[in-house]
Amino acid sequence: MSDARAAILGRVERAVRTGRIPNATTRHDTGASADGGVEERPTDDRVGGDPESERGDATRVALQERFVLEARALGVETYVEPTVTAVCDRLRTLVAGLRVLTWNPELLPYDCGSIVEGALVGSSPRGEQARAEVGVTACHGAIAETGSLALLSGPGCSRTVSLLPPVHVAVVRPDDLFETMGHFFAARAAALAQSSSCTFVTGPSRTADIELSLTIGVHGPGRVAIVFGP
Amino acid sequence: MIVQLFPTCLVNEFHPAAGLSVARVLERLGCTVALPEGLTCCGQPAFNAGFHDEARQVARHTLRVLARTDGPIVIPSGSCADMLIHQYVELFKDDPSASADARAVAARCREFSQFVAGRGGIKAAMKNPARVAYHPSCHLMRGLGVRREPLAIISAIAGVASVSFDEQEECCGFGGLFSIKNAEISASMMDRKLAAIEASGADRLVSCDLGCLLHLEGGLRRRGAAIKVQHLAELVDEALA
Amino acid sequence: MSGGFADRARQAIGNRQLHIALDRTTAQLGLRRATGLASLDRADAVRDRARAAKMRVLQTLADSLRQFEARLVDGGAHVHWAETGADANRIIVDIAAKAGVRRVAKSKSMASEETHLNGAFERAGIAVVETDLGEYIVQLAGDRPSHIIMPIVHMTRQQVGRVMEQRLAVPYSDDTQTLARYARARLRDEFLEADMGLTGANFGVVENGTICLVTNEGNGRMVTTLPRVHVVLMGIEKLVPTMGDLDRFVKLLTRSATGQKLTAYTTLLRGPRRSGDACGPEEMHVVLLDNGRSQILAGETAEILGCIRCGACLNACPVYRTVGGHAYGDVYPGPVGAIVTPGIRGLEQFAELPSASSLCGACREVCPVRLDIPRMLLALRQQAVERTPQPAALRVGLKLFARVASRPRIYRLAAAIARRMLRIRARHGWIRRAPGMASAWTRYRDLKAPAAETFESIWRRRAGAARKP
Repeated sequence: MSDARAAILGRVERAVRTGRIPNATTRHDTGASADGGVEERPTDDRVGGDPESERGDATRVALQERFVLEARALGVETYVEPTVTAVCDRLRTLVAGLRVLTWNPELLPYDCGSIVEGALVGSSPRGEQARAEVGVTACHGAIAETGSLALLSGPGCSRTVSLLPPVHVAVVRPDDLFETMGHFFAARAAALAQSSSCTFVTGPSRTADIELSLTIGVHGPGRVAIVFGP
Repeated sequence: MIVQLFPTCLVNEFHPAAGLSVARVLERLGCTVALPEGLTCCGQPAFNAGFHDEARQVARHTLRVLARTDGPIVIPSGSCADMLIHQYVELFKDDPSASADARAVAARCREFSQFVAGRGGIKAAMKNPARVAYHPSCHLMRGLGVRREPLAIISAIAGVASVSFDEQEECCGFGGLFSIKNAEISASMMDRKLAAIEASGADRLVSCDLGCLLHLEGGLRRRGAAIKVQHLAELVDEALA
Repeated sequence: MSGGFADRARQAIGNRQLHIALDRTTAQLGLRRATGLASLDRADAVRDRARAAKMRVLQTLADSLRQFEARLVDGGAHVHWAETGADANRIIVDIAAKAGVRRVAKSKSMASEETHLNGAFERAGIAVVETDLGEYIVQLAGDRPSHIIMPIVHMTRQQVGRVMEQRLAVPYSDDTQTLARYARARLRDEFLEADMGLTGANFGVVENGTICLVTNEGNGRMVTTLPRVHVVLMGIEKLVPTMGDLDRFVKLLTRSATGQKLTAYTTLLRGPRRSGDACGPEEMHVVLLDNGRSQILAGETAEILGCIRCGACLNACPVYRTVGGHAYGDVYPGPVGAIVTPGIRGLEQFAELPSASSLCGACREVCPVRLDIPRMLLALRQQAVERTPQPAALRVGLKLFARVASRPRIYRLAAAIARRMLRIRARHGWIRRAPGMASAWTRYRDLKAPAAETFESIWRRRAGAARKP
């Protein structure tokens, strides 16, 4: 209702004239402007935008090491395979004997697509997707700081693939690595803008709601495996 | 140098010995101690209860008394010190001339341990060894940021072992009128604090705030515990004797 | 103590099992927060930047809301504005009716608890199920959540087992993994059958209309992927300026709440499904809720709108730890609740809450955006004095105190009388039963008898003696 909109915006505009909103300057930022606002300083906490170090300051190798460390700490099975063949073998092993739901095979790197050719995809009937036993994806970004996978939704990369099955396997290229979420946002702004959703997956699903006791695998996958290729 | 001693109403009415200890310690540090004429209370009870007009009335009087004096103002209470240093400017934020006075006074105020540490600390020795549990009062620790100074002062006393205890930094439950208006919650918090102190094996409990000390000592007595309770100034004074 | 909060607090203090649960939860979560913050590079700077960003949003809230709305619409979402909780419920039930919705699956939304949305759905004949495990159990048990992050801290695993046995007709178990599996099995069907998903929003990004959900279980993803309609109910204050800010805020939220670097799922939504998407909602609606927030914004407690709902203040608060969440009597417990609840429901009904604090400041110390909660509690106490009835003894006492304490000679006289009256009741320097208001003190501890002579008197006397030739 536009009446409600006008009423709320009107109240908000009047409110800030009397409201006690503390000064917004910080101790740590010398770029504070006269009215107390703070300028964005990308180098301060490594929020991206700098073309020379788009992924972050660290080298690709260091990023991968960091990613693997973080992922393993979360209980994610992380494999680093030296060759394309090894990647395919690993994937084959991980999905052996299981009903597969996958991103469109053409979207998987290292020609892994052939391994899951003919499997269920995002456009398959929902009921069948719900009975899949493993979901296979690539990723749009791998965030080293937290061991997270960034998954954009779009043609051929349905959200259900990494959500419905109890196991999620992701095939990742070192090229996908970014140091932080912020770097990913800056570098992939265009892709983000075109996508209806982006999910950062950081380990298996979990809860500690009952007596703070941890249970892994609630509604999302309880087992996550990441296969890095060369 | 001349320092003004702000005894605080609790020290004045309930435990003058702490005030006398503060004065002796300050004299040992080379200060001449003066007592401003006409002090009553910083007004915190009214302020904390939400009676800000009443608090202002008392605060104006206190500011007048202090403005007639010179030199540092030493306050043996974290909560009163926080009131004078941070809350007076808040109380008078709509009164430019009073807030100028408040700022001037605030700049001169120092909590006791803060002042002693600022003068380089003090060396002393206990005749008999003591195991001291130090309770950091909330306004002192979080309001004023005074964390290390009291512990440093305690460590500098030969013969005193500083004993830590569980959840040492948690509020003791005094909170001024909170101890009466929310007596049951206050008592629960007190019980937790006292259980931890008793379990620590300390034979003394020391703090920089008489409010916390009256509350905790009252609880210890009710439990029949034998732990001696002192203001930090009394501990130092004893070790200087 | 007297009144609703006092009674609930008293009950809570007497509840041994609650006491154990609260001790465990606040200690664990406090420890996890400390570890989480310790692993954050330049945590102080990040907190400062986050605070600054939130205060900036509040200062420019009208423009921020307009921009946020425009970006949401660009992404294909419908935006609705709700002045009150009842309006929000009406809007959402209308959306459901127009879309032929019969079943709703909800991921966690505190705003929806604020508006009592579930009741509105039920009255409209629409089935609604909570899918956050803790909220699901609360719904099954007909209970209320007691913590912002961990809704069932007040329940034991045995209690949960009994609830599930009774309500889901499953074999009793007190094994938490088994209980979670029961929920998974039952809720999976709900996700697949639901027509509408309803969520809150942890953050809304002004610059591009992104809705951010921070979850661990996967239910947030389920309800925003499978049903054909998605409704977001969010307070107007949940905005952050940019994606760079979002990165900062998500990090602070997860570390402050549970110590995690990130939760299992950080979901960013830019609208309903696009052409080429095989899943995702066909319709997405964002309901912007005022419900008293603009009024809070106009006053002394405006700053509380910067809260990111991490729950750290609850875990640090010795009062929350003593009485638990239900004592606060409404949706938001703990230090933040003591300020928000009077703000959105009215101080008159909840005047006890701002006083239920020793002002220790532990909350301010752990708040990721450094909200000055003690200052706001004091401001509310002043408002309570102006607008709500105070115990006569207190009002008269403090007015008298102010008069007397600004007149030293009268003060000294009055104090001398009060000291004498108390000293009469003392044995060996201690009073076991004090009169009047002070009787609450001596219920739990002895009261030290006042001194026979004040410090000032001793001091002046000695100074006088020293001056004598």
